[in-house]
Amino acid sequence: MNITVFIKQIPDTNDVKWTENNNIDRIQTDSIMNPVDKTAIEAALRIKEANNSKITIVTMGPKKAEAVLKEAIAMGADEAILLCDSKFAGSDTLATSKILAASIKEILPDTDILIFGKSAADGETGQTGPCVAARLNIPFISDITDIIEITDKDITVNSETENEKNIIKCQYPLVLCINNYIYKPRLPRIAGYIKAKDYIYKTFTIEDLKLTSGETGIKGSPTYVSQIFKCEDTRNGKIFDYKTTDFTQIYEEIQKVI
Amino acid sequence: MEPNGILIYAQKNQEGRIEPVVFELLSKARSLKEKLWNQRIMVCLIGERKNYDSIVNELGKYGADEVVIVSDDRLKDYNKIYHSEIFTQIAKKYPPRIILIGATPQGKEIAAYTSTKLETGLTADCTNLDIGENYLLLSTRPTFGGQMTADILCKTFPQMATVQQNIFQAIKKENTARAIFNWIDIDKIENKIEIIKTIQKEKHNKDIREAEIIIAGGQGACQENGFALIYELAKKLNGAVAGSREAYEKGYITKSQQVGQSGKVVAPKVYIAIGISGADQHLTGIKNSGKIIAINKDKNAPIFKYADIGIIGDLFEILPRLINEIDIDKEEKNE
Repeated sequence: MNITVFIKQIPDTNDVKWTENNNIDRIQTDSIMNPVDKTAIEAALRIKEANNSKITIVTMGPKKAEAVLKEAIAMGADEAILLCDSKFAGSDTLATSKILAASIKEILPDTDILIFGKSAADGETGQTGPCVAARLNIPFISDITDIIEITDKDITVNSETENEKNIIKCQYPLVLCINNYIYKPRLPRIAGYIKAKDYIYKTFTIEDLKLTSGETGIKGSPTYVSQIFKCEDTRNGKIFDYKTTDFTQIYEEIQKVI
Repeated sequence: MEPNGILIYAQKNQEGRIEPVVFELLSKARSLKEKLWNQRIMVCLIGERKNYDSIVNELGKYGADEVVIVSDDRLKDYNKIYHSEIFTQIAKKYPPRIILIGATPQGKEIAAYTSTKLETGLTADCTNLDIGENYLLLSTRPTFGGQMTADILCKTFPQMATVQQNIFQAIKKENTARAIFNWIDIDKIENKIEIIKTIQKEKHNKDIREAEIIIAGGQGACQENGFALIYELAKKLNGAVAGSREAYEKGYITKSQQVGQSGKVVAPKVYIAIGISGADQHLTGIKNSGKIIAINKDKNAPIFKYADIGIIGDLFEILPRLINEIDIDKEEKNE
């Protein structure tokens, strides 16, 4: 079986560096693999262990995305692909899903299972996986909390939302969206690091994907940001320093509201 | 056909009632409509065959002008393939300028499918909507991991947005809606997904969206006995426990207790933020709260700007002290 896992590199949002103008300093802020994508790779590795499969990792981004591809190879993925083209820059969800769907059509048409992490920690829209499925006209299952059974034809999974649990069976090809932290992603072993060090990933451009520049990047993205700002509302509340204020005074204020 | 008006997806809960977010979106749509030459507000309702008079009436009271009904007994329960495809077909038949959908798991699936099929833009989890330049929908949402906020426009029609429950207020007005019945052959929709079993989950905790007092922990509380103290304080105040995205990611709370853009939007009388720094994506989830009390050791934490009462200090010193004071208070009242 062939599994394709889509991963994303994101700015480390736990360690954002700001510029003087209140913007994210993209150069100073480190890039990391989107955390839930590690869980997605772990799910793929578990499927591979249960049913001999080939795992291909796909990411879209600049050359420095190499780091997350190598990390995935070190974890145990078989192949890694970088979709890299200046004409991809600035793609929104619609354009991104078009590019990712084209990678399946043009490079990996034998894929049985496409796996996505539930959402990216930087954008949090969680739309890319379902949009790729819609574009490829294949089903998707989201909120997956466990994989129950895998056969050559279909997969049975547990999908769980706040109100209900569903056991769902579906034929290939399909898209799975994996929830955060359902599996603990394994740490790479030494042999994995050695493999990753020498691994040469393949790069594909807009021509390889048979797309035109009008379909990708800023041109191919219907949505655009008109302005970015820091939330400036304020309640002008009473702020106390615990060390220098008598707690009775603080508690009197709290008492008024609770 | 020239795109016209606003289309809203009427999602239902497990008991078959319309979700509150639909009425909230209708109320917001009324203010958008005023800036769009009073174009129609349409609602798409998908469900089993039955009499929908009272639902149409209720949707009308919140601002719907027309309710498009697609009914078939196989549509009683939500089925992502049927519902997504039907909603898309309705959006093609009555092309709107704007599509608004509640950002529930169901709504997000439908929004993703529809935007792809209509080749249009989608802005997810918006925190405000307005009409901006060139009469385009202006969607506001947190960005960059929730640290910042962005205004987003869309240059294709329909312009699509999803919004969480509790972002907007549902307000009634004098209005009546007209029902329009549509028939769609669902045998023509290919369905490869088989649901083998559905188990309704028992609700252990009250929905935090209904709580009057919420005590929420963030990164600062994700160590030692931080959450034990939060639970103790919640018990004393008869409040609900919630947390930030970090607290969910570190396993201290469940997804249903997560507050913020990717969690829930809450509006309690009192929100106590403990060890929460206050990224935009979290503040989005609490700005409708009555009073906000914040405890954080970093005096520069953005949460203090939003707090009515802020205490700069170590939560592991402050919480035991606060719990103790509440105990003394209660004893005095009992005497």
